[in-house]
Amino acid sequence: MLKYVNTGVVFQEIPDEVTLSINLSNCPNQCPGCHSKYLWQDIGEILTTEVIDSFVREYCGDITCICFMGGDNAPSDVVNLAEYIHIKYPKIKVGWYSGRQHVPSVINKMVFDYIKVGPYIQHLGCLKECTTNQRLYKRGATGSDFSDITSRFWRVPV
Amino acid sequence: MDRFSLDKIMNAIIKAFNSVKEPIDLSSLSKVLSHLDIHEGVTVEDIQNQVEESLMQESYYKVAKAFMLYRQRHTEDREVMDKMQFLVEYCEASNAASGSKFDANANVEHKNIATLIGELPKSNFIRLNRRLLCDRIKKMYGKELSEKYIDLLTHHFIYKNDETSLANYCASVTMYPWLISGTTAIGGNSSRPTNLKSFCGGFVNMVFMVSSMLSGACATPEFLMYLNYFIELEYGKDYFEHADKVVDLSLKQRTVDKMITDCFEQIVYSINQPTGARNYQAVFWNISYYDKYYFESLFGNFVFPDGNKPNWEGLNWLQKRFMKWFNQERTKAVLTFPVETMALLTENNDTKDKEYGDFTAEMYSEGHSFFTYMSDNADSLSSCCRLRNEIQDNGFSYTLGAGGVSTGSKSVLTVNLNRCIQYAVNNKIDYKEYLSDIIDLVHKVQMAYNENLKVLHEKGMLPLFDAGYINMSRQYLTIGVNGLVEAAEFMGLKINDNPDYLKFVQTVLGLIEKYNKQYRTKDLLFNCEMIPAENVGVKHAKWDREDGYFVPRDCYNSYFYVVEDDSLNIIDKFKLHGYPYIQHLTGGSALHMNLEEHLSKIQYRHLLKVAAKEGCNYFTFNIPNTICNDCGHIDKRYLKECPHCHSKNVDYMTRIIGYLKRVSNFSKARQEESHRRYYNKSEIVEKVEA
Repeated sequence: MLKYVNTGVVFQEIPDEVTLSINLSNCPNQCPGCHSKYLWQDIGEILTTEVIDSFVREYCGDITCICFMGGDNAPSDVVNLAEYIHIKYPKIKVGWYSGRQHVPSVINKMVFDYIKVGPYIQHLGCLKECTTNQRLYKRGATGSDFSDITSRFWRVPV
Repeated sequence: MDRFSLDKIMNAIIKAFNSVKEPIDLSSLSKVLSHLDIHEGVTVEDIQNQVEESLMQESYYKVAKAFMLYRQRHTEDREVMDKMQFLVEYCEASNAASGSKFDANANVEHKNIATLIGELPKSNFIRLNRRLLCDRIKKMYGKELSEKYIDLLTHHFIYKNDETSLANYCASVTMYPWLISGTTAIGGNSSRPTNLKSFCGGFVNMVFMVSSMLSGACATPEFLMYLNYFIELEYGKDYFEHADKVVDLSLKQRTVDKMITDCFEQIVYSINQPTGARNYQAVFWNISYYDKYYFESLFGNFVFPDGNKPNWEGLNWLQKRFMKWFNQERTKAVLTFPVETMALLTENNDTKDKEYGDFTAEMYSEGHSFFTYMSDNADSLSSCCRLRNEIQDNGFSYTLGAGGVSTGSKSVLTVNLNRCIQYAVNNKIDYKEYLSDIIDLVHKVQMAYNENLKVLHEKGMLPLFDAGYINMSRQYLTIGVNGLVEAAEFMGLKINDNPDYLKFVQTVLGLIEKYNKQYRTKDLLFNCEMIPAENVGVKHAKWDREDGYFVPRDCYNSYFYVVEDDSLNIIDKFKLHGYPYIQHLTGGSALHMNLEEHLSKIQYRHLLKVAAKEGCNYFTFNIPNTICNDCGHIDKRYLKECPHCHSKNVDYMTRIIGYLKRVSNFSKARQEESHRRYYNKSEIVEKVEA
């Protein structure tokens, strides 16, 4: 079961998308130095397909992507919701920010357009640091291959 | 009234007797005093008036005259003392905007003798303007309304903008009269521009002259179209196709492109200079860019005096070149002007001209700061900072040029909605009725202002109108609003996109529109604007708090949302400045989308679609630029440390109202507001680690 605490419309997390981020609680990773410790607790509302529908109703046409932030406590639920979004709202892309080193092999990665993996390791830094261990992958146009686009975060802005 | 004051009155009377050598004894003095009605709360002026009457009643006419003169001298002394006090305080103030007592604005970079000279007569202008207006109101509507106006003004229910200047407010001008006859018709001595060089030099002079006859902004929406025409005269209609061709026989070997950017440089740097005639402020200069459809609609019928028509291909190139150049130039110097507006026509929830939609997104992603105006019909234009206007006449005239560009606002009179609504509710009056009453009065006052302006016009004092730069009947009388969000909060409403808040907004702004339509005639136009409130927002908050009203922040918002509210995301803000909210704001409002970091071109492109879909017609993205106080490096990013010399002594440039300025040049209260603002920031740092 997934629980979410809040949402946001974000631009930096997924390059070139206007993303509705959904912050999931019950995070099992509990990385030292975490900036969102409140998400370690079992708090928030249950995230159902109805809740997803209400988000899409509110932001229909305004967002291009929905990204699950966390959810490593119930990865198959994340996959189910991703599939639901893909079928019901084919125009909206789906991303997943996981804190695991790897996506569990039982998981069908193909339901995601973006996947971020890797725990936060303080001395290596977050995605914005060239030294980071975290990786963001984007599914290719053909639908089967993922490419590493982490370097997009390192681009020196204007 | 204490004894000391009574002694003072007696002394003053005795002095008056002595000065005209009229003998006085105790009994005649007590006779004079016996007429005085001294009670709790009586003012010095009252007593002095009574003394004058009393002296005359007792037939001491010479003494009464002496007393009046004595009184006048004292008033003058007091004024001089006040001015001296102000002078000392101004010199001590941290910057020009904080030192200014009236109408502070951040458009003055430095504080010096020239700006001080501009500040000193401001209070006199306020008195003069009030007197002129009140006399006119009395004539038109009677004494009662005139007194009510002053009462509402002094109790801060309404606010008269730009009372420190005698000139009408702002204008978007047509340059055709200048093209035909130079500046002679507006009192200058230069003949019409005939080539690129005389255009550039003459343009700067013309803008200075026009601005000195306005209290606010001067927009030249045809600037680049005219510039393009003169470049064509010089280098051929296809100049942009060989922009790298060397066309300069000097040792510099300049190319067409270099010649053109030199023109940009000359004009932009000249106009950003502080101006003597405007108390050392730079002139407020605005320009517009157009997509293909706007261009066709505005200038489709346009003909230059030599019979040539404006060329879209050339203008298209020149608009882009200017924007790129200006963006680059802003990394070298703090250049506030021109304020630029990109006019885009929309269709099916997107920009109709895809090339310009893409280009607009590209410029935002390159860090350029400018406004975008979107409309599904080229029947309106925003050319005057944020002032929107209906285009009433898209025709072309051989004396006045393009009809659509000539507009502006003659005068702005603002309703302090927060105070008005709270006053009504606290006194158990229906706030709509109470507001109606005030809005009606505001319209009458504006019409009185208009009559005064007409008198100035008849006396030949407004050559901009006579010469055709501005058309009197295309200028608006603007009703400003301030404190809308705060009033809604007082009514217990949540400030987000919800039906109750929307209904409140539509009710309040709809009332103003109702009166705007009611009082509209063929010569009188009204519009309603959410004023940027650069200093009014701070003043209203302060005054209302002092008088015990509910004041949730130190500076009233210029937006439909609470600027420090971090629960609203970017889409929410577009919705809150979308069509249902702004539909009655016929004079416009600007959404300043504050962001911590620049977005990618694709993301900005999508947000243009969001704006088109929500019907948000006027907006800009605002990412503070960093300027190093030590090495002067300017960076388009929002940084804590200078990337060049690593100094932490950095300042920021941001838009607080319409103008991109250093934060440290804003008034103190505005600086505080800018620190409290919520910049929608990246959540990467917070969320990735979860």
